[in-house]
Amino acid sequence: MKSSSLVRAALTALLLAPAAFAQTVTVMGSTALGPLVKKAAEDYMKSHPGVQIAVSGGGSMTGLNQVVSGGCTIGISDVFATPDQEKTGIRNYNLVIEPFTLIAHPGVGVASLNAQQAEDVFTGKVNNWKEVGGKDQKIVRVNRPTSSGTRAVQQQTVLHGKEFSNNQLVQDSSGAVANTVATTMGAVSFIELDFLNRANGRFVGIAYNGASCTKQDVSSGKYPLFSFGHAYTNPAKTNPQVLKVAEDFLGYMLSQHFQDTTVLKAGYMPVAYVKSLKTKL
Amino acid sequence: MPDAPDSLLEAPPCASDPAQESLVLESLPKEPAFRHSRLQRLADRWSHLLFLACGLLVVALIGGILYFLAARGVGAFMPLAGNTDKILTLKEVFLSTDWDPNSGKFGILPFIAGSLSVTGLALLIAAPAGILTGVFIAKLAPGWMKTLMRQVMDLLVGIPSVVYGIFGLMVVLPWVSGKWLSDSPAAGFAVSAAILAVMIVPTIVSLSTDAFESLPLTLEEGSQALGSTRWQAIWHVLIPAARPRLLTATVLGLGRAIGEAMAIQMVIGNNPQWIALMRQSTDQTPILRFLFTPAATLTTELVQELPNTAAGSTWNNLLFAMGLLLYLMTMLIILATRRLGRQRNA
Repeated sequence: MKSSSLVRAALTALLLAPAAFAQTVTVMGSTALGPLVKKAAEDYMKSHPGVQIAVSGGGSMTGLNQVVSGGCTIGISDVFATPDQEKTGIRNYNLVIEPFTLIAHPGVGVASLNAQQAEDVFTGKVNNWKEVGGKDQKIVRVNRPTSSGTRAVQQQTVLHGKEFSNNQLVQDSSGAVANTVATTMGAVSFIELDFLNRANGRFVGIAYNGASCTKQDVSSGKYPLFSFGHAYTNPAKTNPQVLKVAEDFLGYMLSQHFQDTTVLKAGYMPVAYVKSLKTKL
Repeated sequence: MPDAPDSLLEAPPCASDPAQESLVLESLPKEPAFRHSRLQRLADRWSHLLFLACGLLVVALIGGILYFLAARGVGAFMPLAGNTDKILTLKEVFLSTDWDPNSGKFGILPFIAGSLSVTGLALLIAAPAGILTGVFIAKLAPGWMKTLMRQVMDLLVGIPSVVYGIFGLMVVLPWVSGKWLSDSPAAGFAVSAAILAVMIVPTIVSLSTDAFESLPLTLEEGSQALGSTRWQAIWHVLIPAARPRLLTATVLGLGRAIGEAMAIQMVIGNNPQWIALMRQSTDQTPILRFLFTPAATLTTELVQELPNTAAGSTWNNLLFAMGLLLYLMTMLIILATRRLGRQRNA
């Protein structure tokens, strides 16, 4: 009796092993979204034994490149896929709202900019803080590199598609941007809201158009400085079984429970906030 | 082969004179004193193969990297498989200062000029400082200080470049900007070159110390016997005599400087449009503008953009071409060093 149950267990294990192996979902891409997805994966794996979700970084473009080539199951990204990438039939999920904010060195003497002023500061039309109501201090723009997703969001929301001034400092990560703004007199930049919450007074936030990043102002469209955190899957290049698990996992991340608890706690906002807004970001 | 170990056994360990060694070999009996076991000989052959494989692996790696860079980089200029985007001409890439990939402008002259400028400035600081320190350590310092200085230089080589970068970003930049620039940002060639100079000084110091120490003592003694002062002996005799090796030291420093990315990208400002910005601005005298305009180099641009560009796009391919350019420049420098070394031996 005992031995036969053992044999049966072993047989089941053998039969299940390839299936369990097949249910490994790999996630790659945005280092900004990574921690949130990792947390979601841990919770999901607890309630779904047999499913393995491996999350690694690499950057938004790496995530998109990999999901297009079939190198990972889910590619996470802060930016939309390029038209070329979309042609391959990858599927987009808007997972969360990533709120951004304008920040400046504490010494600039400006607490709020309207949309036009903010645009002028970054296009180079305005070069001294006193022209927008601050101290007599040269404006030092700190930007992300040309290829950065954050920079693309900034160009669209703050600069309304216009070109950045070429008088700028460029830093390749949000952390480096925060450091530069904190240590450079007159510096101004655009960064994930979460960094401002952890600034400890080393740099200050600047209100945009009299609005701040709250639920009301975001859902009413008054505060437009945000983008979506995306997840992409590639049905054409994924094992259907794995794809099903991946979709179920993304469904879990989009569930109201997850969005209202973990997402908010991680410094993002639920996508439901902007459901009513006609927005393409 | 089998008699090699015997010669080791018989010959005195310090017998370096080949003539003497061959004498010892000839006087030996033909039959070796003992044989290696089969296992030992097998191990010998396999380890030989292992060493050969390791050596070949290194060569393969160098070739492989070159091929990888070229295969991707050439895609920017030629229609290759996997290249989805537009094709550039050499002229619009190498002879244009306009870098704005989002609107299809791919001039990489600012990066080349940036790399050369920052490396040149760094050498201007580091070469004299390093060589003079070498003279000091080799000829003037008392024994205990010599040991200390050597150890300090070894430590400096070991500090990761990102640490120099953090120091530059958090300490040097705010200090320079507050002290001399009335709170304008100090990012640019001046601070980057200074940081870079600190990074390559140890290389130059240890090589030039060796150069001076290897000079025959008679040179110094002779010049002093002729009545020269210590300074005259150093300036007119020792430095000219060591010149080829000092040049090698400098070129090796150059090689290290041109490839450095991490430390520089934290302090240089990474502004690809620095040439245009320098032309427009009229704030300061041209030389100050050159020193303190936020600029970019080949390495910093690679670090900044490579992770964010789509594979197969012109932009991405061109970044690989820039990597290839950097690789070839470094190779050229290393070849130059070897050539200089040969001249010295001849």
